[in-house]
Amino acid sequence: MDSETAHSQSVPPDRRNGILCGALLQRRSELRKSWKHLISADCLEHLGPIAPEVGAVLSGPDAARGWPLLDHFTWLCSDADFWGCLQAFALAKKIECRPGDRTPAPLSLASLKRLASADGFKLLCVRYRCPVNIAAPSELEIAEELLRQLMVTDRAKIEAGGAFDVAGVLLRLNLVGIRALVARDLRSLDALNYFYELPHRSLVRMRANSRLLAFWLCIYTQLLSKPDWLKCGQL
Amino acid sequence: MRTAVVASSIAAGVRVAAEIENLPGVDVFIVVCNVGMRPALLRWARELVLLAKSFGRWTPARLWRYVRLHRLIILSRALDDASSTERLRSLQCDVGLHAANVIYREPVISAFRLGILNAHIGILPAYRGRSVAEWSVLQSERTGVTVFFIDSGIDTGARIVLHEFISPDGKNSVEKLKKMLFGCDARLYRQALEALMSPEFQCDRNDISKGRRYYVMSEMLTEVVNHILMGLDSFGLPNRP
Repeated sequence: MDSETAHSQSVPPDRRNGILCGALLQRRSELRKSWKHLISADCLEHLGPIAPEVGAVLSGPDAARGWPLLDHFTWLCSDADFWGCLQAFALAKKIECRPGDRTPAPLSLASLKRLASADGFKLLCVRYRCPVNIAAPSELEIAEELLRQLMVTDRAKIEAGGAFDVAGVLLRLNLVGIRALVARDLRSLDALNYFYELPHRSLVRMRANSRLLAFWLCIYTQLLSKPDWLKCGQL
Repeated sequence: MRTAVVASSIAAGVRVAAEIENLPGVDVFIVVCNVGMRPALLRWARELVLLAKSFGRWTPARLWRYVRLHRLIILSRALDDASSTERLRSLQCDVGLHAANVIYREPVISAFRLGILNAHIGILPAYRGRSVAEWSVLQSERTGVTVFFIDSGIDTGARIVLHEFISPDGKNSVEKLKKMLFGCDARLYRQALEALMSPEFQCDRNDISKGRRYYVMSEMLTEVVNHILMGLDSFGLPNRP
């Protein structure tokens, strides 16, 4: 059952990593110059006091936080609410979190799928109050579903030019981006690449939720800046 | 073994059928779907253009033989339509060969005694979904094709008939690599049918817990893969830095 006409020539990891690293840094440089086309002056105004910090992350030197590869992930708790934690994460600040006493009961994929988009949004914000938890092994099924929703359902709607749930898509982009950063999942990073490459007219529709749009781009910036992306064994 | 090539065009069907029609013990039908439900005029114009483009890989005599023996079935309704499914059932085929750009639902799959084979351009169970050839190159894994029985999920069908590692050497772009891998389908379908007719044959298990689902790759990473592929010189060896 297993036949082989030839060995695929394997490109040495160093060479592959060099090419990948170059592409990521090039995109980072492009984003540094172009983010103001996405986050308009109006959006910045809506962001209020955090606008200068968002600008600093997107325009400034790389600000990625060094998340270690986690062998044993502990569920984290925080006194801050979801928005506070997400903001801290996006702006590469220290998140005040501590190991939780226990992992919450598993979230059923079926029940998540059954929820209306607004209810699903609330549920995700509550469960991932400390959003780093999306990278916990126990959340793999949910994280895979969020990635699938982005790359199948949301992508199809947006590319067809139809209406889409801006807040829902941006929340998924933020959570998938955090998972990419913490769990080093290149597929998750590439979902952010894909959405960033959507036509400008689709991206500007996301200005309807300027806060989530800004956080997404800040997280994306951190992903592109990560030099040790390329050292992990499983890309 | 009664076998139907489920094709997106007559030309696509004839191409696959030509590879397997001489296999001893295999009776071949070609079922042509109306992918995208094109209006009749548009559909037939497309069919003629595709036939003209592939002339040489088929002959009028061969095509006429399929027509004369009622082995060329042109579906006018969607593949999922009850009348199409009934028509498929009436053929009493053992195996379907996927050569159409459609998603198969359970009633269509079960119209074939053993199921529908798909030549997936990635190695299962590791690489399910889209852009798997590109992801394999990016992750320094071997490229290749897996022939397996589909189910209604995305590359989750439990029975793998065979897989073949196929080197990307000499293909210096994603487009060329994928074209080459897609072009292996007829030959591998032939091997799969031979395997299925062998009395001792048993399928491998497609254990999806051992793989991941991949999605369409971004332009950025596709360009990275193009560069990796271009890094292979004509001898199939990486260029020195």
